[in-house]
Amino acid sequence: MSGVEKHILQINHLSKAFGSNVVLKDIDFIVDKGDVISIIGASGSGKSTLLRCINLLETPNSGEILFHGVNMLGRGVSASRYRARVGMVFQSFNLFSNMTVLQNCMVGQIRVLGRSRPDAKAHAMEYLEKVGMAPYVNAKPRQISGGQKQRVAIARAMAMDPEVLLFDEPTSALDPEMVGEVLAVMKNLAESGMTMLVVTHEMSFARDVSTRVVYMCDGVILEQGPPAELFTNPRQPRTQEFLRRVLERQL
Amino acid sequence: MNKFTQLGADIVKLWGKYGNSYLSGVGNTLVLALVGTLLGCLIGFVCGVLNTIPFGPSTHPVKRIFLRLIRVIIRVYVEVFRGTPMVLQAVFFYYGLPYFTNNTLKFASIWAAAIVVVSINTGAYMAESVRGGIISVDPGQGEGAKAIGMNHFQTMTSVILPQALRNIMPQIGNNFIINVKDTSVMFIIGFPDFFAAHRAAVGASLLYFPSATVEMAGYLTMTLIASFLLRWLERRLDGSSSYELVQEDALTLTAGTYNHPGRSTPFDGEMPRRKGR
Repeated sequence: MSGVEKHILQINHLSKAFGSNVVLKDIDFIVDKGDVISIIGASGSGKSTLLRCINLLETPNSGEILFHGVNMLGRGVSASRYRARVGMVFQSFNLFSNMTVLQNCMVGQIRVLGRSRPDAKAHAMEYLEKVGMAPYVNAKPRQISGGQKQRVAIARAMAMDPEVLLFDEPTSALDPEMVGEVLAVMKNLAESGMTMLVVTHEMSFARDVSTRVVYMCDGVILEQGPPAELFTNPRQPRTQEFLRRVLERQL
Repeated sequence: MNKFTQLGADIVKLWGKYGNSYLSGVGNTLVLALVGTLLGCLIGFVCGVLNTIPFGPSTHPVKRIFLRLIRVIIRVYVEVFRGTPMVLQAVFFYYGLPYFTNNTLKFASIWAAAIVVVSINTGAYMAESVRGGIISVDPGQGEGAKAIGMNHFQTMTSVILPQALRNIMPQIGNNFIINVKDTSVMFIIGFPDFFAAHRAAVGASLLYFPSATVEMAGYLTMTLIASFLLRWLERRLDGSSSYELVQEDALTLTAGTYNHPGRSTPFDGEMPRRKGR
C-alpha cells in the first residue's frame, strides 16, 4: 500500500481513440519524484496524446490517472486544480499574445494560486532569470524569437511551482541554432531535481539527461529503461530499428 | 450657381431658426448610438461566452442539458433580432409592453425604450461577431491557459476575450457607425434624434432639400470622426511595437554558434560551393 503513496503519477490501463482510430492502447506508466523521463518514438506513435491525456487536455476513453493516489478521471475532480500542479510546455509555445513576458509568468500565479502581485512578480522574475529571459520582461511574445518564447514558456510553467512538468516536443518548432538554448534550460531543470516528462526527438537529450527512456510504438509502450540500457542494448527489434534510423541521422 | 447661393441662404435661414434643435439632435443621436453599442457589445460578449462553454460526453447530464438550452435561446434571440427591422422592433417594444400589461407597465421614458431596442438589436449582431472573434483566437492560447490551471471563466477573461476584442474591434466600429445612422428610425417612437430635428424643421419651414443637405453633412461628419477615432483606438490597443531591453541576454547564441552537448548540425561543416564558381 505504501508503494502507491510515493508515486506522483500512476497511469493504469489508459486508452484513447479519436473516432475509430485507436491512439493509445492500455498504457501503464509510473512517474516518481525526481524522474526525468524521455518519451521517444516515431511520429503518430501516441507520445503527444499520452502527454495531453495526462494533463487532461484530451479526455481518455478508459483507464485511470492516479495523482498521489487519487483518480483524476473520477467524478467531482477539478481538472483545473489538478493542471495547476502539473505544468505543461507546448511545441507551439502558446504564450499569451495579449500579455508581456512578465505578465505571462504572473497571470496564473495571481488568478489561479491567488498570490499577491508583488509575490507573483518576485517569483516570476526568479524563473525568468533562470532561463535568461529577465532582460525581456517588457517584450510581447511576437517580438522575441522561438527559443526565447520557449524559455519564457518554461518559466511560466515553473512559476506555478508544479510537481511535474510535461514537455510536448519543446524544440520541434525551433530553428537549429535555438534548440541548444532551450535544451540547456531543460538540462538545468533536470539537474535541480524537477520531475519531468519529455516527449522529444532529441536523442542526445534523452540519452544524456533523462533517468528513464520510454519507447512508444503504435499506441503502446514497447520498451522502457535507463538510457544507457535502452540506447546500447535495446531488446525489441522495433526499438533497435527505430534507434538505428534516428541515431545515424542525429548523433 | 444661382441655385447654390439660394441653397446656402436657405441653410443659413434654417440654422438660424433650428440650429439648437439640430445640435441637440446630434448629441442625442451620438449618446444613443454610443450607449446602445456599448450595451450591445456587453450582451454580445455574454452570449459569446455562454455559447462557447465546452461540454462533452463526460459533462454532467443536467449541466449538458442546461448548456444546450442556453445555446438554443441565444440562437433564437440572434435570429429574431437580426431578422426583423429595428424600426419595427422599436414599435413592438414601445407599444407591446403597455398592451400586455393593460397600461400598468410602460417605458419610463423614450430614452429607456430607445436604448433597450438599440442595445438588444446590436447585441444580436455582436453575439455572432464575438463568437467569430473567440473562434479566431488560436486554440493554443486556450490550451496554454488551461495548462496553468485556469478554469473556463479565467481563460476567457484573461486570455481569450482580450484577444477576441482586439480581433472584432473593426466590427464594433462598424456597428457603432451603423447605429449612428440607423438610430434615425427611432423617430417612430418620438425619440428626439438628429433625424427627428429634420422632420420638425421641415414641418414648419417646408425647406425639405436644404434641411436634407444639413442632415447629410451632419451624419457624414459624425461617421467620419467616428471612424477616425476607432482607428486611433485600434492602434492604442496594439500597443507600442518597441520594448525596453533591461540587460543583455546571455543565453541566446547568435546564428551559427550552435552549442549543444555532443551534437552538431548539418550546417557546421563547410558551406556547399555554388555551381558555376
